[in-house]
Amino acid sequence: MLEFWAGHGDGGTQSGDSNVTMGKGGERAHSRVLVVDDDSSILDTVTAILSGEGYLVMAAGGGKEALALVRSWHPTLVLLDMRMPVMDGWAVARALHEAGSRVPIIVMTAAESARRWADEIGAAGHLAKPFSLDELIQCVEKFSADERKN
Amino acid sequence: MTALDLINGLTQAIFVLIFLLVFVRTLRHTTPAHIDMSLFFGILAFVVAESRISGFLGVTPPVWFTDVLVALIVALPYVLLRLVDDFTRVPVLLKRGAELFLIILVAAYAYDSLVTPPVDPPIILAVVAYLAGLFFYCGAAFIAASRKAEGVTRRRMQGISLGTILFGLDILMSGIGGVMPEPDKTFLTATGQILGLASGVAFYLGFAPPSFLRRAWQAPELRNFLARAAELPRLPDTLDIVRELERGAAGATGSNARVALWDEDTKVLRMWREGGEAVEVMPGRFIAGRAFELQRTVFTTDPSKEDPADAESYRRSRAGAVMSTPITAGGRRLGVLSLFAERPPIFAQSDMELAQLLADQAAVILESRALIDHAARMKAQEEAMRLKEDFVSAAAHDLKTPLTTVVAQAEFLERKALRDPSSPADLQGLQRIVREGKRLAALVTDLLDAARLEQGRLTAEREPVDLGTLVSEVVARQQPAAHATDVDVRGAVVGVYDRRRIEQLVENLVENAKKYSPEATPVQVTVWQQDGEARVSVRDHGIGIPPTDLPKIFERFSRASNVDDRRFHGMGLGLYICRGIVEEHGGRIWAESEIGKGSTFHVALPLQDGRRLN
Repeated sequence: MLEFWAGHGDGGTQSGDSNVTMGKGGERAHSRVLVVDDDSSILDTVTAILSGEGYLVMAAGGGKEALALVRSWHPTLVLLDMRMPVMDGWAVARALHEAGSRVPIIVMTAAESARRWADEIGAAGHLAKPFSLDELIQCVEKFSADERKN
Repeated sequence: MTALDLINGLTQAIFVLIFLLVFVRTLRHTTPAHIDMSLFFGILAFVVAESRISGFLGVTPPVWFTDVLVALIVALPYVLLRLVDDFTRVPVLLKRGAELFLIILVAAYAYDSLVTPPVDPPIILAVVAYLAGLFFYCGAAFIAASRKAEGVTRRRMQGISLGTILFGLDILMSGIGGVMPEPDKTFLTATGQILGLASGVAFYLGFAPPSFLRRAWQAPELRNFLARAAELPRLPDTLDIVRELERGAAGATGSNARVALWDEDTKVLRMWREGGEAVEVMPGRFIAGRAFELQRTVFTTDPSKEDPADAESYRRSRAGAVMSTPITAGGRRLGVLSLFAERPPIFAQSDMELAQLLADQAAVILESRALIDHAARMKAQEEAMRLKEDFVSAAAHDLKTPLTTVVAQAEFLERKALRDPSSPADLQGLQRIVREGKRLAALVTDLLDAARLEQGRLTAEREPVDLGTLVSEVVARQQPAAHATDVDVRGAVVGVYDRRRIEQLVENLVENAKKYSPEATPVQVTVWQQDGEARVSVRDHGIGIPPTDLPKIFERFSRASNVDDRRFHGMGLGLYICRGIVEEHGGRIWAESEIGKGSTFHVALPLQDGRRLN
């Protein structure tokens, strides 16, 4: 499951044939956000929201797709769900670490232990499900800005 | 005096000494068995000593004295018969007959020897027949007893049997020797004498074995028991442990053993009869209860006198001697070990130490068992706790997932509408909210059902339900779908059920069948009646369930390991609820499956109101 999404600024409509479109925040378009979640509704919603905010967004429905995209697409931020079948968030984080990737990760989970798990895998931050629109946007904005400064 | 004579004399002196020792030792006790033993060994000592002393002094005793000696020798098998009676049962008629015959024989012999000497051969013949007959009986009785007994008792019985046989041979030799010419006469008499002495030793070892020999005989059984002791606490059932303890104690002491366990909650001692039936004893009642109350060993060879209130019970259970020892672990009273023997001489005073040793060992075993049980209880508690936490956190997790989409997506739509009120409706976003909202509602329903199920009140009002019609209706509601669902109703099947829940059950099973099957494969639902039960089966041609998962699929939060969570949403509560519905109706649910070929879920429901009584 590998989908390409384009943000049109005014909406999160799917546009399978064009790879990446710049949103209205020109600067944000340099931030490439990879969203990893096994729940397709969450994947669709988060992708639509962030695209609408002008980010370049790609979605991965599982750990293996996520690793492939990190290698080929070089995201600047990864939103990572922890509880996933086959390859879970911990396995993804470990694989990234072993591959020498230094892309910041934001743990995205419905479990109580979001903060602890974030610490466990050395994540930059965490988003506890269910999150509000503002929480999501602010969190992604904060770490994208950090990344730009570096 | 020749050297041979000297050796003969010394050996005989040693035997006389041993017999005298037993005589003196047994004389201190006044139980019938001890009196019989002192009589037996006293007579033996006297007869052997007399022949030696008169031979040494070179005097010929008067006729009356010889008659007394003969009377004593003739009485010997009778005393032996009394001893047989002490160790095993002898018919009363035989005892009385032997007594009567003994008196007649002795009187006839004395009359013949004193008034009309010499003694007539028929009388001698009668005496020999009497001796031989009783010895034959005693020997057979002891051999039979030794075969029934075990442990130290068996060894003792074997010793006594050997003594009896040797004594019989002795009489035979002496009898034949009496009528033989020299030198056969001397040879036979001497052999008879040696056999007689050997039988005396065998009797000594059997009737009154010295402590060191007792210990040595007890050792193998005790070692067997101790070797097995380490495994005992791990036996599945406490009753199994009790039985093993009893077997071990019985083997080591050569008696019967009963272990009573103290129940701290109800304050009673509980023991188990052969059939497993439990008997409760108040502390203080019976000798076991008394030993428990006094916290020391109680030993009696006359339980009816020791505990007159329960005399009848001891008579019924043929307990001739009882030795009860408290089982105590560091001040904690655990129970009592009681050893029973039908015949008192089975026990010796020194067995009290052994009983104490066995009771201590039992205490260690029972205490270990208590610790193992305690650890298991703690683990079960923790497990229950963890399951509860799992339930809450799994439920929260599963609810938050659709909620995430609902909240974020709704806010997103709201923001877009505020920014540009004229923009067209985002149909995909709205559909996402509707879909996830419904998913949320279904999860909440499942969770509530699971919670009701925990309390055993999932089902409510019962009414007569025609299962065939119900199944057809449920399937019709779900059509049209990608799967053709075929319903086969074989005759009218009407039972008393909670209609709504049975509908839910059928819905769940049919939905499951469709969910886990490739598109366009048929689902077969069959309704029939068999062996007085209503039966429903739902068969699919789906992915199947791995054999290792099959026993777990009806458990809470259980999902087969080959289920792809991304394709199949669910909490793993569906089949758990199905089982709850079926079991509250008093029915059964099970599944058969083959990987890649499909699964069949079976339901059997009673036709009457099979409500489970809680």
